[in-house]
Amino acid sequence: MTAFPDLLIEQHQLDNGLRVVLNPDAALPLVAVNLWYHVGSQNEVPGRTGFAHLFEHMLFQGSLHIGTNDHFRHVQQVGGVANGSTWYDRTNYYETLPANHLELGLWLESDRMGWLLPAMTSEKLENQRHVVMNERLQRVDNQPYGRAYERLDELLFPAAHPYHWPVIGYMDDIAAATLADVESFFRTWYTPDNAVLTLAGDFEPAEALALADRYFGEIAPGPRPPRPRPELPELAGAVHETQDDAVELSRLHLAFRLPPYGHADWYAADLLATVLTGGLSSPLYRDLVYDRQLAQDVGAFVLPTELAGSFALVATARPETEPAALEAAVREHVRRAGAEPFATAELDRARNRILTHHWEGLQQLDQRADQLSQLVTFFGDPHLLQRELDRYRELSAEDLQRCAARWLTDERSVAVTVVPARAAAA
Amino acid sequence: MTAPAGRVALDRAQPPEARPLERFLFPPFLHRRLLPGLDLYAAHIPRAPMVSLELILPHGGQSDPVDARGLASLTADLLDEGSELRSGPEIAAWVERLGGSLSASADWDAGYVACTLLAEHLPHALALIAEVALTPTFPDAEVERLRKRRLAELMRRRSSPTALAEQRFARALYGTGAYGYPLIGDEADLRALHRDAAASFYRHAFRRGGATLIASGDLDPEDIAARSGELLAVWPADPAPAPQPVEPVERSAITIHVVDRPQAAQTELRLGHAGPPRNHPDRVPLSVMNSLLGGKFISRINLNLRERHGYTYGAHSSFANRLGPGPFQVSAAVATESTAAAVRETLGELRRLQQEAPAREELADAVQYLEGVFPYTLQTVESMAQRLSQLAVFGLADDYFDRYFELLREVTPEAIREVAARHLRPEVCAVVAVGPAAALVPQLESLGRVAVWSPAGEPVGEADEAG
Repeated sequence: MTAFPDLLIEQHQLDNGLRVVLNPDAALPLVAVNLWYHVGSQNEVPGRTGFAHLFEHMLFQGSLHIGTNDHFRHVQQVGGVANGSTWYDRTNYYETLPANHLELGLWLESDRMGWLLPAMTSEKLENQRHVVMNERLQRVDNQPYGRAYERLDELLFPAAHPYHWPVIGYMDDIAAATLADVESFFRTWYTPDNAVLTLAGDFEPAEALALADRYFGEIAPGPRPPRPRPELPELAGAVHETQDDAVELSRLHLAFRLPPYGHADWYAADLLATVLTGGLSSPLYRDLVYDRQLAQDVGAFVLPTELAGSFALVATARPETEPAALEAAVREHVRRAGAEPFATAELDRARNRILTHHWEGLQQLDQRADQLSQLVTFFGDPHLLQRELDRYRELSAEDLQRCAARWLTDERSVAVTVVPARAAAA
Repeated sequence: MTAPAGRVALDRAQPPEARPLERFLFPPFLHRRLLPGLDLYAAHIPRAPMVSLELILPHGGQSDPVDARGLASLTADLLDEGSELRSGPEIAAWVERLGGSLSASADWDAGYVACTLLAEHLPHALALIAEVALTPTFPDAEVERLRKRRLAELMRRRSSPTALAEQRFARALYGTGAYGYPLIGDEADLRALHRDAAASFYRHAFRRGGATLIASGDLDPEDIAARSGELLAVWPADPAPAPQPVEPVERSAITIHVVDRPQAAQTELRLGHAGPPRNHPDRVPLSVMNSLLGGKFISRINLNLRERHGYTYGAHSSFANRLGPGPFQVSAAVATESTAAAVRETLGELRRLQQEAPAREELADAVQYLEGVFPYTLQTVESMAQRLSQLAVFGLADDYFDRYFELLREVTPEAIREVAARHLRPEVCAVVAVGPAAALVPQLESLGRVAVWSPAGEPVGEADEAG
């Protein structure tokens, strides 16, 4: 057996509440700077959906000491890579830089955490509103099957629950955002005590911590608004919708609610997803794509979300397959997962796959730093980076069966089938 | 050192000074002729307990017979669908049991059998790669299954704006020959393909002569050399002749192709022409030129179309990495009503770069970007394998990546203008717009002759095949 290397991980907290995670690793002359703000679409309200994401765009429009677009300019002119992304529970900002430019990353991130508002203008908001509208068109409205995931969330979660609406937001809401919204959102959520800063790469930890304090230490903590605790009543029963779209092949999206990320059943469901569809030798791929050839592809995934989890199975039908036949075949596999345990060999295959992907991901400093920020934001413990694998090791075939029987039942299922729209009359 | 305690000393108005950094060196690797016709590149990269192995087979899509477009890719895909020892499902189960994955594929230049997994399983991976590459059986049922799957995939692509744009753009640049159709094949040819065609392509093209083994990760290069020489010794060594050169369509003016999706919410845009091969001597200044033109966020085309005009979420330009004259292309998804404006702005950026040398600072930013980002692109054992694979496929010297840094620093503003003048051809670009024809044709007519196509590839109205 290969000995798996132990990663050095430290966690600190500045006086203003900013948590700082350090993972020194001198293998390459690089440093990843990763900042998670614990705010996402979960903190929006109906009528202003998509605001957390539009706001993320505004953070690249300059701050008091950094001009419009100069964030990317500063990073790229030294050979760095930068971006940000918004999700249900969080917004992240990150850059990977040549190791000698660590301080540049801290300067850039601290300036927009501390001094954003003086640089905001309605012209910038107007420009980014157009960019984001085009992003929505590109990612959702002009994508085949693009509206299916949005619909799945709408059906899976009730209207008052923040997972009901899409992270990118609805077009009308994006159009409605104002500069006043930008200001109040910033003051509420973009505070050091609502953030985690992770550094991974080639640096000396004590020095990096001192630099983090130098750049972020003087930023005042914020109001610490309460975290959302939305109610989530049980689904009244199975839901099934059919969506017409400009597609050639129909596709089934079958989803179930799960407990949130961190719960034992969440890990069981994640392992089950890998057992069911991870690899060419998984039972669903083998049966649906290989043996019976009902499907062009099949996959299952579980999202690491904070307020509630979800399990989704997606399968694209062959041209000659009736959507109902594919759905029946998929549901039969899910039912069987709840009715009888898988062989240990199937669990081992899935665990080995998860272990391999774990190491594949850890090779990349930006992914590693992002994982660390996630684990600290949700659980306060960066050491889970490696210990989390134990959660998968501890699971038995019976645990997976119980999880499927509890959560993945027909009565709790939400299905969206996308079918080819009949050609419009000429 | 420690940071000064007094926070007032921090001047936020200027970016902090960088520390000195030792120059990055490309990791050392072993390059050796292992057997007649077969080279090995192997690098010890111990950052993670992973290995990545890849056997590169000579010949790719460029060697497809004229009446069997897609055959190289189908043949490669079939390699792991049955060996003399195991069936396809047994091969998959065998490697996946170890947490690994095996893939067999082809691009235009070569075929690839690749495997990435935990380092402790290295000997298994090496033996499996040799097994599938040397003893494929091409079972009838698997040929039939993959053929049907590809036909369904071609069908699926008819509803994907990006796939439609890429397919129409390739066809406009290269006609019906190599590079002009999807690598996975042309529908009419795929319908006629059968087992014997794949088996015969395999015997002819995928031989040891011209093949390369790549290994990177937590491994000992000498150990790989010792193990693999034996495994690959029985493979026929004589190489197949080189394929016919790729011939781009000649154009004397801008031509515009609209693929009509009447309900489309946005327009998928491609603009460009055939470019130089990967191993062209201008490649390094061209990379710098492309970087400042559209290769990164802070580039002329992206700042123009996205940040100045808000036409798009992002615009990007690239030169393909191919043995032959692969495409230079600008791509963006734009608001339909702004399509012609986006084309005009893009053509304007190409012409401006041909006429005026960039400022020294803009050039320095692009050079430092390419230099600094290089280690970032080498973080995984797979990305290191890809770099070694580039050396092998494009016949680049072993010191190419060391020289790359030197050549980058030698690029001058005037050299950028010269390579732009030599390799950009805004006056004969092909423009492809996938979106509602009723809104696109009136906008685009002032820019050149417009042909309209259906998503299925049929001409609408008076469209014809000419570039």
